[in-house]
Amino acid sequence: MATHALSPAVPAYRGGLYEWLTTTDHKKIGIMYLINSFFFFLIGGLFALLVRTELAAPGIQLFTNEHVYNESFSIHATVMIFLFIIPVLAGLGNYAVPLMIGAPDMAFPRINALSFWMLPLGGVLLLAGFLTPGGAAAAGWTSYPPLSERGALASPGPGQDLWIVSLILIGTSSILGGINFLVTIFKMRAPGMTLFRMPIMVWTMLVTSVLVVMATPVITSALVMLFIDRNYGGSFFLPDKGGQAVLYQNVFWFYSHPAVYVMVLPAMGVISEVLPVFSRKPLFGYKAFIFATAGIGALGFSVWAHHMFTTGAVFLPFFALMTFFIAVPTGVKMFNWVFTLFRGQLTFSTPLIFAIGFLTMFLIGGINGAFSAAVPVDFALHDTYWVVAHLHYVLFGGSVFGVFAGIYYWFPKMTGRMLSESLGKIHFILMFIGFNLTFFPMHMLGIKGMPRRIADYAGDAGWNDWNLLATIGGFTIAVSMLPFLWNVFVSLRGGKLAGDDPWEGNTLEWATSSPPPPYNFDRLPAIRSERPLFDARHGLHTHDGPGGQSDEKAPMALEEGSHDDQGPTP
Amino acid sequence: MSTSPRKRPASDALVAGGVVVLLFAIVAVVMWISGSALYPPAAVTTQAKEISKLYDVVFAIAVAVFVAVEGLIVWSILRYRRRPTDVDLPPQTHGNNMVEVLWTLIPTVIVLYLFAISWQTLNTVDYTSVANGQKPDIQIRALAGQFQWQFEYLDGNGNHIATQTRAAGEGGGMAVPVGKKVYVTLRSGDVIHAWYVPRFLFKRDVVPGQENHFEFTVDPAELIDGKPATFHGQCAELCGTGHRVMLFSVVAMSQADYDAWLAKLVEIEKATPPPAPSGAPVLTLGAKGIAYDKKDLQAPAEAPFVIDFKNEDPATITHDIDIHGADGTTVVANQEPIAGGTSTQYTYDPLPAGTYQFFCSVHPGVPGMTGTLTVN
Amino acid sequence: MTAEAHVGHAAQAAPSGHAQRGISNPILGMLLFITSEVMFFSGLFAAYFATRAANTPWPPDVFKDILDPLGPIIIATVILIASSFTCQFAVWSIRRGDRKGFVRNISITFVLGIIFLIMQVYDYMLLFSEGMTLGSGPFGTTYFTLTGFHGAHVFGGVLMLGVILYRGMAGQFSAKHHDAVEAVSLYWHFVDVVWILLFSILYLI
Repeated sequence: MATHALSPAVPAYRGGLYEWLTTTDHKKIGIMYLINSFFFFLIGGLFALLVRTELAAPGIQLFTNEHVYNESFSIHATVMIFLFIIPVLAGLGNYAVPLMIGAPDMAFPRINALSFWMLPLGGVLLLAGFLTPGGAAAAGWTSYPPLSERGALASPGPGQDLWIVSLILIGTSSILGGINFLVTIFKMRAPGMTLFRMPIMVWTMLVTSVLVVMATPVITSALVMLFIDRNYGGSFFLPDKGGQAVLYQNVFWFYSHPAVYVMVLPAMGVISEVLPVFSRKPLFGYKAFIFATAGIGALGFSVWAHHMFTTGAVFLPFFALMTFFIAVPTGVKMFNWVFTLFRGQLTFSTPLIFAIGFLTMFLIGGINGAFSAAVPVDFALHDTYWVVAHLHYVLFGGSVFGVFAGIYYWFPKMTGRMLSESLGKIHFILMFIGFNLTFFPMHMLGIKGMPRRIADYAGDAGWNDWNLLATIGGFTIAVSMLPFLWNVFVSLRGGKLAGDDPWEGNTLEWATSSPPPPYNFDRLPAIRSERPLFDARHGLHTHDGPGGQSDEKAPMALEEGSHDDQGPTP
Repeated sequence: MSTSPRKRPASDALVAGGVVVLLFAIVAVVMWISGSALYPPAAVTTQAKEISKLYDVVFAIAVAVFVAVEGLIVWSILRYRRRPTDVDLPPQTHGNNMVEVLWTLIPTVIVLYLFAISWQTLNTVDYTSVANGQKPDIQIRALAGQFQWQFEYLDGNGNHIATQTRAAGEGGGMAVPVGKKVYVTLRSGDVIHAWYVPRFLFKRDVVPGQENHFEFTVDPAELIDGKPATFHGQCAELCGTGHRVMLFSVVAMSQADYDAWLAKLVEIEKATPPPAPSGAPVLTLGAKGIAYDKKDLQAPAEAPFVIDFKNEDPATITHDIDIHGADGTTVVANQEPIAGGTSTQYTYDPLPAGTYQFFCSVHPGVPGMTGTLTVN
Repeated sequence: MTAEAHVGHAAQAAPSGHAQRGISNPILGMLLFITSEVMFFSGLFAAYFATRAANTPWPPDVFKDILDPLGPIIIATVILIASSFTCQFAVWSIRRGDRKGFVRNISITFVLGIIFLIMQVYDYMLLFSEGMTLGSGPFGTTYFTLTGFHGAHVFGGVLMLGVILYRGMAGQFSAKHHDAVEAVSLYWHFVDVVWILLFSILYLI
């Protein structure tokens, strides 16, 4: 590929700390999102290791004060959901979306910076709970009242209030980010980039942002009501004062179920970019995929009560039916992905391997979810380790594998250097094995009756072996982070230079330098499909058949002399 | 630079197919070795047997979908790796309306079928005699409080017969006759709990301010030689630091055994506590808001003494006063918990001089529920 | 073809909205923000109706006639509705390029917003004196939560009005450049509509 006269050849981002702290560049903000998220990923992981260590064998080993155990799994889940998965995907989106639609930045760069800086602040507030008398929040990441209300054996300390304030802050960050994405996607697309030529990653960020803007404020309302109950004598969720305990669950899950799609749709977007590139084929059923994404988003608002089947307070058949229906668009996507691989020419670079990890593991997360959709079966499985297995197959097997696919895919674009392929593969193998060792046995534990969130279990319950296996797996996952971190460390210093387009990418971010200049593009190729760079390389292959317009083949027309349109606009 | 038809040796397909088959053989062997690991425990109630049947159907469909899709993925990975000779592009397939409609319709049919059978099962599982204007054979009100269960037995008119207040490890639990419709209502006085018995394949939340209910019938075949069968149960909704100790059991027995058991429970409840040994000193202690009202008690050495104990917490919350030896772990005096709103007199056997710790066995580790007993 | 292929994106990055097709970025952003605010209030409203349905009688006997729709609150309501009109007059003025009219109308809106807030505080003090607080059961909790959050939004709106009033007096808006005015007026109308709903469900039905 041609080099660009205007693009800096040296790796950028060597700017001073002050420049990073005050930047409004979506690329730097995106990278800061990623760094911040991985920092909290490690913290959340440490809490998971504490929990797994305690559960490795029957008997209390670690947590003589069981309140600390409850704090550990509560903070583990809160950190992983609100400070890792949601922000890390927002970070990838932040980096990729403006580049993918050919925009110079997000629509509101300063609000973008504000969204980011609320995250570390929220994280610090959350963890500050450990310094308060009574410790951090310990009522689970769901914090159901009355357990999360004040009360001698409930949540008397300020840790729970810090949890609430932290989540409101992080939620506000999400909402502002979501608005920013929507305006960027609707208003900042390059000429020719129609809605149905947008990369799938952009589509998933679009649907995700709609979910964030519409659902996140609802959890904010639940949180402020809880805060009022706790601190100003309110009675929303206190039955003895005329409130209703289940009301919180309804409002909470009205957000938190769509939040599951917030946590998985962008990861689906990532692998929908990776699979076509490394198969040298277009995504199979591009439009069907978009409709399926929108369908999941819409159905996501009508299934919240499937988290509440055992409360005796919801209309079971409706929510069961809607929950089953979600399987249909999800299945459509699964087949689209598999048929993208089918009859392709696959290059097994690390991004593709992680994307395949996503496919194989997310499939299990979909299938074991169907068990809980069958209401009577859910009576057996709800709040057992089966659910823990299910949610980790979706959020770890799905989202986290997708996140790593994205990191390996865009790292060359972000830094100008390639990550090591062999370290990447070691990382994948360790993580894949560790992941399955940890979470597959949880199916067995759940079906045999082990409830979640218990610090100990009887030695004769038949749960010992599976628990030990899960703990070994947990530590394997922890170990798998070492080759990854080492890979990032050495590749930043001496990795192979990436060039503009190391993967023969399809989308616009590969048309600029690596890393891109602050304004992103000197010029753009023609956009006449969802794969503008592919078209530039190979000619337009439309849905009507290959080579249908191949005489119009436009080679990467990036020669000099076309930056007159950089001039000021009237 | 147009695309060319793919020419691949047939051996590729053979290898790929072989590996797929091998993979599934391994999965099958692993599942066979781990035996029933992915199956629910043997169901013991009429309702659980229905749930178990439904599970089997869902499981069969799940395995079929898993094998089909993972097989397709593994096949594609092995069969379609890019080789050095692959310079030209593979066919640029953008989609195929026919297959896309098919893989939308087939899952729709599958999920509609799953919905239909789970609804059917739900109607059986959620059936209660009370909702249908009949009287159940047995009525029990389960009272959940941090961190203990009580089971109040009610007669046909919903009036109190007797309450089982003993803790799980101390002969507590819920006795039921086999083959009878047992109607359970759930009540909580503090936070949300869940009544869960794994071998019933069933749980239901115990929500404060809302009375949930369900019905079950234990299969008479569970009694071996007519002996009672015990099924482990525990709280399944996080309820605080003692969540894991909130255990109970369901003991299924013959009608005759059950009648005798219930009669004994009534007797225990009606019995007046044994009179305090004359001249024994009477101490007083109260409990309110999950805390004792005194942190220090004094008693004479080598002489029996009595504690007049009043539990002023809500009815669902039970307390007692047990005593730890000097080592802080051995229990030297073990009393039975009493429900909130009641009082009793605990009589303690003589203790040698020393410092002891008294505590509530329902709330171990709760700061307010422990204190020092000085014996001198 | 080459020309088409080489269209730069610079036009996309045009700083002000009017040069683009469709609505401008700030206005779209404000509409989306209002959408999220609608969902926030939906959560509170849902909680209100659920609580109300579970507690009879509503209002409880102690507070039977405490919320009188014909008390001072009706004046506050009229003031807030009137401010929505003056706000719209301000928008129309600046669309015509009438800066004086704009400043006059936005000043009136600003003052009316402050009067509404003062009246709300007065109303709260009356209720407190009659023993109704956040802590007095579901009735008090829902009333003060709903009206309190609405009041906070009015306060936010008054701050925004203050900002555009200041900018307007500094002559920063014109018939072509006034996205901020449009956005703030949308927000102000939203706050007004929420109040009409609140007044209806709390005082009338």
